[in-house]
Amino acid sequence: MDNKHNLPSPAKFWTWFNPIGRQTGGWAFILNRVTALGLTFYLFLHLVMLGQLAQGPEAYDGFVALMHNPIIIIGELLVVAAGILHGLNGVRIILTTFGVSITRQKQLFYALMAVAVVAILVFGIRMFTA
Amino acid sequence: MSQNKWKITLKIHRQKEAEAPHFDEFALDVDPDEYVLDAVERVWAFMDRTVCFRHACHHSTCGACGMRVNGVEKLTCITYIRDVTQDGGTLKVEPLRNFPVISDLAVDMGSLYSRLDTVGARSVLPVTQAEAEKKPADWPAGDEQYIRLADCIECGLCISACPSAATSSDYLGPAVLAGAQANGLKRNPELLGLVDTEDGLWRCHSAFECTAVCPSFVDPARRIMDLRKQVFVERFSRVFRRS
Amino acid sequence: MSAEIRNTSAPRSGENSWLWLVKIVTGPLLIILILVHFIVNHFIGQNGLLTYADVVAYYSNPLIPLMEILFLATVVTHSLSGLRGIILDLKPSRGVLTAVDWLLALVGVAAISYGAWLALVIASRS
Repeated sequence: MDNKHNLPSPAKFWTWFNPIGRQTGGWAFILNRVTALGLTFYLFLHLVMLGQLAQGPEAYDGFVALMHNPIIIIGELLVVAAGILHGLNGVRIILTTFGVSITRQKQLFYALMAVAVVAILVFGIRMFTA
Repeated sequence: MSQNKWKITLKIHRQKEAEAPHFDEFALDVDPDEYVLDAVERVWAFMDRTVCFRHACHHSTCGACGMRVNGVEKLTCITYIRDVTQDGGTLKVEPLRNFPVISDLAVDMGSLYSRLDTVGARSVLPVTQAEAEKKPADWPAGDEQYIRLADCIECGLCISACPSAATSSDYLGPAVLAGAQANGLKRNPELLGLVDTEDGLWRCHSAFECTAVCPSFVDPARRIMDLRKQVFVERFSRVFRRS
Repeated sequence: MSAEIRNTSAPRSGENSWLWLVKIVTGPLLIILILVHFIVNHFIGQNGLLTYADVVAYYSNPLIPLMEILFLATVVTHSLSGLRGIILDLKPSRGVLTAVDWLLALVGVAAISYGAWLALVIASRS
């Protein structure tokens, strides 16, 4: 055993996502990175799915009907939630980058996350009752 | 000092040369108003003389006793035991992350010191250039003969806490970028090539862990953001100077 | 003991202020565009665009494909430059980084072209 185990290494990428021992800004970072990866995946999935449009009315309407089940709707709500969280986290990053609220970044994050929770609830209720 | 004593278990990270890292447990009676460093020292003094750790001043000036206490970076000489555990609780003490372990709790912070040198970080600077919380109102403006110590005590807590530092050994890190900011791009234009890079300013992803653990009001995250602003102003003005 | 990390290697300019500016400009632009994208796709009519006929009718307005293509280009740019930032944190070698750059550029151009083609096909069907 050498002392290399304590050095930075790309193999430690999983520690980015470990919330233990992190504080407010660290949780914001985790949230931002997880939602970034999720949304990037969804972006390309969404583009591929919309390819059904090119195949005409039957294909697309059949596809939409297929997608109208609770599991897909939960997935869609996750995408909406990720978008809201990533967007509002971006607001925190931009504001603090330009020095706004930089000594109050925790309060800024909690305020933005409160907005996010309300927005996700509104979307969730709408999506499941529509 | 309070009268009541707490019984705690101190779990100390142990690793000597060629040894696999592991933890040794020590049962201690402590006063909750003592500091974590006091408990580690007591283990060394009365229970195990081979425990290796760095410490010197005991009043948050030398920056030697940085460790991870229950997973969070702390300057152990100013961390009250009552703030990090309870009676009957456990205190897990580990070395700082992202530095090679020399022995047990002691790490080699050579990389931090040499990088601070690379950006010309000053340990002493004229009061007129320091960002003091309260500047003396009647300070003779422009008088550079009055100097003060820089806020950074080079304890390395920020390098250990930063999630971005965990994967890239070339990242300059919060303390070093803060040192560059304190120097200023105006006074040191050559810093631009060092900090406007992937291993400089742009490795920072606004996790603010550095500021959260900094024991010395450096507020590295704020200084990184300020340095970004300085870099942008410089890059923009260069575009216009060229045209 | 740690000679290999004491010598600060020459910093690599894999990221710089201009690339970062792209992210910070496309970010707020996306917040606006995604709101528009969302409102028109989900709140137009009774319950939004649900059928093929709804979508084709919606795309008959020439401003719509333009707006959606702009949205797509912005979101692809933001997401791929962000993904590149995450990959950079893994310290890729110079060769790997060059390959990643080409791959991301290729994926980005392909995604935008495909999306633009799709939007224009739908618009032409009204």
